[in-house]
Amino acid sequence: MSSHAARLNLVFSALADPTRRAILARVARSEATVNELVEPFRLTQPAISKHLKVLETAGLISRGREAQTRPVRLTAAPLAEVETWLGDFRRFWEQRFDRLESYVEEMKNKEKSRDRRIKNPKRTRG
Amino acid sequence: MIAESKTPSAPEADREFVITRVFNAPARIVFEAWTKPEHIKRWFGPVGYPVTTADMDFRVGGKFRFVMTGPDGKEGPPFGGEYLEIVPDRKIVLTDAFEEPGSPVMIFTVTFDEKDGKTTQTWRVVFPTADVLKSYREMGMVEGINSGLDQLEDLVKVIR
Repeated sequence: MSSHAARLNLVFSALADPTRRAILARVARSEATVNELVEPFRLTQPAISKHLKVLETAGLISRGREAQTRPVRLTAAPLAEVETWLGDFRRFWEQRFDRLESYVEEMKNKEKSRDRRIKNPKRTRG
Repeated sequence: MIAESKTPSAPEADREFVITRVFNAPARIVFEAWTKPEHIKRWFGPVGYPVTTADMDFRVGGKFRFVMTGPDGKEGPPFGGEYLEIVPDRKIVLTDAFEEPGSPVMIFTVTFDEKDGKTTQTWRVVFPTADVLKSYREMGMVEGINSGLDQLEDLVKVIR
């Protein structure tokens, strides 16, 4: 796998968990310490730390070094990649369904002419 | 929306990545278009990238493998998956992933609802992780698995 795909895969795996998505949404508003995340999420500190580790590995957050509490901050760059990917993905499928629409029309017409032939066999001669 | 959520894991707050289309045809025809290689080759590839290989065993547990060919005549990377659920004229659930090892697995759910001779096709994708696939196999259903790409779209918009 290309490093780009591997990175994107890592980001997607990190984002696949609803708690981690909510943590990201929270730290997008302002940085937060682990303790500040424990309460609203009703999780233990080790559980929060585990989620943060996954987000950090995916490059979605960084931890400050200046204080003992090491506040959690959002790193937005990987999200730009996700946004691009999702946009392309949606367009790609919309295009597919455009084609499906015209193909279904064709299938329908074929069926109609087949039905006509069955009902009026004489008309198909010549 | 997600940013306002106080209970982060509430499934009802989650949405999936959904594309709906209304077709001016009965459900059996729209469904049929998904079920045979000769149909798939006619529409599944986006413009300029026709599906040139479509091997498919259209039954629950059956596999499919597609290859698209680009405008330069070169074949693209093969992709495929497995049919997890099939309800004739109503619903198809399948997995999809590139063959390249480590590629994320997605679960697509396509439903067909016919009314007055028109069919609403709803196409949903559930987020690509091994966990999701495991839950699917265990529970036999996707509903309630709160990991849609739509949410990601929302999240990305909120955050950026």
